[in-house]
Amino acid sequence: MDDDGLVASEFATVRVSLDTQGNSPRLRLEDLRSGAVRFLDALELESIVWAPEGFLRELLDPSRHRWRDDGSAGGGP
Amino acid sequence: MTTTTDLRSRVEPDRVHGSLYTDPAIYAQELERIWYTTWVYVGHTSEIPQPNDYVRKNIGPQQVVLTRDRTGAIHVLHNRCSHRGNLVCDADRGNSSSFRCPYHGWTFANTGELLGFPFNQGYGGAQAKERLAGLGAAPRVESYRGFVFASLAAEGPTLREHLGAAAERIDQLCRLSPEGEVELTAGWVRHEVTANWKMLVENETDGYHPQFVHSSIFSISGSGIGALYSDKSTAVTRALGGGHSENDLSPEFRKLGVPMGWAGTPEARIPDYAAAMRAAYGKETGDEIMINGSPHVMIFPNLFIAEIQLFVIQPLAVDRTVQHVTAIQFAGAPDLNRRLVTQCVGSVGPAGMLLADDAEMYERNQRGVAQRQPEWLDLSRGLQRERTDERGFTVGTATDETSMRAMWAHYLTLMDPA
Amino acid sequence: MTAVEEGTIALAEAAAFLYREARLADAWELEAWEALWTDDATYHVPVDDAQDPRTHMSIIFDNRNRIATRIKQLQTGKRHSQRPLSRLCRSVTNVEVLGQEGTDTVVTSVVQVLESRDRGSTWWVGRVTHRLRRVDGELRMAGKKVVLVDSDRALPSMSFLL
Repeated sequence: MDDDGLVASEFATVRVSLDTQGNSPRLRLEDLRSGAVRFLDALELESIVWAPEGFLRELLDPSRHRWRDDGSAGGGP
Repeated sequence: MTTTTDLRSRVEPDRVHGSLYTDPAIYAQELERIWYTTWVYVGHTSEIPQPNDYVRKNIGPQQVVLTRDRTGAIHVLHNRCSHRGNLVCDADRGNSSSFRCPYHGWTFANTGELLGFPFNQGYGGAQAKERLAGLGAAPRVESYRGFVFASLAAEGPTLREHLGAAAERIDQLCRLSPEGEVELTAGWVRHEVTANWKMLVENETDGYHPQFVHSSIFSISGSGIGALYSDKSTAVTRALGGGHSENDLSPEFRKLGVPMGWAGTPEARIPDYAAAMRAAYGKETGDEIMINGSPHVMIFPNLFIAEIQLFVIQPLAVDRTVQHVTAIQFAGAPDLNRRLVTQCVGSVGPAGMLLADDAEMYERNQRGVAQRQPEWLDLSRGLQRERTDERGFTVGTATDETSMRAMWAHYLTLMDPA
Repeated sequence: MTAVEEGTIALAEAAAFLYREARLADAWELEAWEALWTDDATYHVPVDDAQDPRTHMSIIFDNRNRIATRIKQLQTGKRHSQRPLSRLCRSVTNVEVLGQEGTDTVVTSVVQVLESRDRGSTWWVGRVTHRLRRVDGELRMAGKKVVLVDSDRALPSMSFLL
């Protein structure tokens, strides 16, 4: 993460910041290529830390989230 | 296509035919039988120190990505999407556990495995991943002391067998670090020449040319390098087997008998380094390592370690070659490393006070061999005074063409394996 | 003793200096070109301008001594990559005075050089930053950096004075 909170590679550009508007702090993730935003709270972050390796690998399959064509909710958080 | 019989008639013990440098059919065959078969140097582990680091590299004209996966294992992947063949990676380097093709979003792990693609119903669902291909991967990847090599052939000699005695030269290089490790962290200069790749390979351990090609710089800089390659020199040219060869300058460095004399850097200028070496190896061994110096070795077909710099040779066409070069950096030697960058930058690359003149010779040579007569290039220098040393290696004097003859003999075994 | 005169150098004078430097380099007026440098000068052609040239590879990173060596090497007449000398013609454009850094005025420009050799012609284009200083009443170069457009690609030999 650079000084502006950017986590970037040639494949994705995400701005990471700490959001304190809620009653507990949370991480604000903004996909700068689409403008989509997701918040992650402490328990969600802890769960990611402990998630099995296969969990992230599955998330990296584009058809799992943003580019679904099975009629279920997709296209953003 | 050139037949192998043809080829054998073009390589003789003391001469080679000019067409070996100019014939596109021979070049195509070299790619298949040498570059896409034998072990080729790809990169160094210090270029991908962290899990999920990657750098773009090459094996001749093939673009590959050198990756370290999350477990630390190293892979060499072809930069080609398994869907439509698009290049998957653009950046020279990065850190990512997976690569997503910009064309249709197919996504691959840094092991090459296909992780998925958008709108998978078009393929009948996620299970299609099982039948569809991932990124192509070099079937064999091995490293030796951080030097990563790949072979695009599924079978063949092991890396250790391929390196043979040349591995000892890598050891010699690593010993110059108080931590026993080389780091290639100084970035690269890329120098393109209009010449066949073998012109470069042959020149790297040709001790006959320096006094002529580099006299302009030797004469004004007071460099002792010229004398190392004179008829009075006790340095030798040694064929190490496997097409590898060296100019072993250590007899001259030992005559000098001064730690770091080989580098032309008085010990007083790098006191921290000298102290670290003696602390790591003991005074006697530390001094011996610093006196013996760094190797000057050509590891066939593409890795040239020239004392303080490392070159990677990349053929792009029969008459087009890129030389990638970096200053060697030794772990635990910051004061020495800075001097090595300065020294290396002055010598190598497009404006280098040494390499620009080598490049001029490669290019003149390429234009020269296109002329019709006398067809052959002579390789006979020192043939009559060659000897076999105590370990069975063929040795010539500092200016003999022993290394070229050995390179060509090995070339034939690869090009015509029968 | 040399007298360094402070104060920003005006655009017209800076541009005239750059044109003169270009003409001397094109014409292989080696001694006159070398005389333009200050004693503490650096001449830099980076691969990656974001990196520290003391720890990373450059195409050229010369201090004043090495500039002298480069000139002497050309003067031997045995610098093979300059036998025969490249024929050169360059234009210097987009000259702007950016400001003052201590005793030096920072001037930026664009250079385009056509180099003609046996191997063919090469078109070299880059963004140049000069640090100019007035010493004993004369303008001198304390620094010159040329960031070539294609600096991170494989380049052919470039042994003339860029």
